[in-house]
Amino acid sequence: MKTQVIEDLPLITLIGPPNSGKTTLFNYLSGKNYKTVNYPGATVEYSISKIQKKFNFEANILDSPGIISLVPNSPDEKISIDSLYSHPRYGIPDLVIITIDSSQLSRHLLLAKQLIDSSFNVLIALTMVDLLQRKGFEISAANLKDELNCDVIIIDGRTGNGVDDLVKAIDKNLKNLQAQEKNHPNQIHSNFNVNYLLNSFTEFEQIEKRVTSQIQHSNRKINLNKANRQLKVLNNDLSQNKNSQLDITTLKIDKILLHKVWGIIIFFLVMAITFTSIFWFAQPIMNIIDSSFGFLSFESHELLGNNWFSDFIANGIISGTGAVLVFVPQILILFLILGLLEDTGYLARGAMLIDKPLSKIGLNGRSFVPMLSGFACAIPAILATRTIPNKRERLLTIFIIPLMSCSARLPVYALLLAFLFPANESWIAGLGLASIYILSIISSTTIAGLVNKFRNRIINAEDTSSFILELPAYRMPKFSVVLSNSYHSAKLYFKKAGPIILVLSGIIWFLTYFPNNNPKIDSNNLSKDQITQLENSERLSHSYAADLGKFIQPVMSPIGMDWRIGVSLISAFAAREVFVSSLALIFKVTGNEHTLQTSMLHEMRKATIGNTGKYLFTPATITGLIIFFVFALQCMSTMAVSRKETGSWRIPLIQFFLFTSIAYLFTFLAVNGLRAFGIN
Amino acid sequence: MKTAAELKFGESATIYEIDKSHPSSRRILEVGFTPGQEIVLLNISIFNDPIAFSVRGTVIAIRKNEANCIRIL
Repeated sequence: MKTQVIEDLPLITLIGPPNSGKTTLFNYLSGKNYKTVNYPGATVEYSISKIQKKFNFEANILDSPGIISLVPNSPDEKISIDSLYSHPRYGIPDLVIITIDSSQLSRHLLLAKQLIDSSFNVLIALTMVDLLQRKGFEISAANLKDELNCDVIIIDGRTGNGVDDLVKAIDKNLKNLQAQEKNHPNQIHSNFNVNYLLNSFTEFEQIEKRVTSQIQHSNRKINLNKANRQLKVLNNDLSQNKNSQLDITTLKIDKILLHKVWGIIIFFLVMAITFTSIFWFAQPIMNIIDSSFGFLSFESHELLGNNWFSDFIANGIISGTGAVLVFVPQILILFLILGLLEDTGYLARGAMLIDKPLSKIGLNGRSFVPMLSGFACAIPAILATRTIPNKRERLLTIFIIPLMSCSARLPVYALLLAFLFPANESWIAGLGLASIYILSIISSTTIAGLVNKFRNRIINAEDTSSFILELPAYRMPKFSVVLSNSYHSAKLYFKKAGPIILVLSGIIWFLTYFPNNNPKIDSNNLSKDQITQLENSERLSHSYAADLGKFIQPVMSPIGMDWRIGVSLISAFAAREVFVSSLALIFKVTGNEHTLQTSMLHEMRKATIGNTGKYLFTPATITGLIIFFVFALQCMSTMAVSRKETGSWRIPLIQFFLFTSIAYLFTFLAVNGLRAFGIN
Repeated sequence: MKTAAELKFGESATIYEIDKSHPSSRRILEVGFTPGQEIVLLNISIFNDPIAFSVRGTVIAIRKNEANCIRIL
């Protein structure tokens, strides 16, 4: 069994405070082949990987969430800390590597001390030596080794220098370990008290003084002193307490980025640029994917002839796959931008700027990053809420994340907006899309505020809100790490959504093709194309999908739509993007010389409701559909993740019924309101 | 006694003690706000909350409410 093999290898756990360079180190050690694992009963997600082959020994390396202390601060933190002591699936770590920012030694040594006190087998990776140098100091790894009595290796996260030394130390350590009996670490929270903490910090300050020293470059020192005087940040008394100097560049940047006026303007600019660039960068790639799948679908239909199998391949399989792949570029780009913003240190500032307004509606500055990720995909966004320590705020953030306009809605909006606005004036469609995003933000915050008002009825949890967040020094992002993380997020998304979409495409294809798969029509005096078309519509109108459609017609009529949209909406509950592929199936769009979208728009413009001659897709119904998609929770994976993260079906079910009824209500109001004003 | 929440922009102070009855007091200590440390109020967010202090060579943003449990000299 595959997992058995993994469990037999030595386990190395990577632990570190936030912003200590842990993820970078994990990437160096694991290469690109890590996977993200969850385990039942806990809200913690881990990345696990075998150590890279080039290092010539076998071990599993487990990444863990960034923590400040081994003493848990919340029930969720307790679960993640407990599993560091003994992972339910991978057991007790044979070796713990802790990443410590050398420019913040006195703060980060706390976690190291707690790990050593728990009698873990600890190896220290000292990071950010470049930051320390910028402050004019250097550190002695050998001295720190003597102080703490465990191996200390300096790692340069920018260049990868030191990783080889670290690997040698790991190898040596693991070999020594095999000779002796495995340690059983003890949890330390029983012996926690404030005095222990205060004494520890005093000790760390002493250690810091002993292991660091000023670099003897006089010009560097003068510059720093001059800069400090200019900024009036540090007074003269602090010259003995030398390492508490701040990074001057960071202070200067923050003067602008956290400025009361400029800060907020730049914040909104950054957000606006983030979202517009997703569309600009992704659109050309999406067009290529779209047209190549359209072409493939058409060619395979031609090649395999006019039978059920060729129809299944062309419409069920190829178009279905295309529908999944088409927005992978957007997800990739969004994760890339988010990763870059996070790596530079800006996202923490964003969280600080927006904490106050978010706290008014019962959220937290820490809700900001998950909400932002919600624009890519609700699944990683809900997982990202784990960084919110307060349970009520965490649940409320999870509650509204499905309202953020995720990228799965994009293909739907793209199609519907293309129907509403002429192709030669795409900027109007762009404006339309921007309004949809603004609507999504307004609706989610309004609903958060309302739920917060009635929170005792919807979300029951304790209420000690807190916001303590480090604003790390600004750094150039490490592009390769960000790229690799985005790639994994996109892959995770594709793996989760892909199979569902494919299976559903198959089911919808079946429902629209059978039982009347070989319709008898009068083919006299008709061209080949006309015969195909007549066959298609005859087959569809007697299909299982049509039977299902008649059943839901009463719900669809009030919002001016018919069963065909109804069936597509139902299938979109599996995943929103299925809406597009299922419309394509129902309207029997096979890509010909055009792209899928052009052919679909053509078919949609012709479609009429029953025999009434009234057009099915009108500005009113299209607007209604857009509004439906803004609100409705149409994603099984989101519900499953919401169930897992909140611990019961209560919240996902409330989300589902509340958001979907709001969606239906507003669609009803929009369609009939527009008609009342003479817009059909 | 003054608390860190009463500091003005750019003003510095030395921490005297942490109010242990505050629910966030332990986390405040764990991130490095310990008695004797020099702190500087570096950034004030729009709407005046949260506020960010320099402590032990880094900058940490906390809410005013939490800054209230940091008593200063």
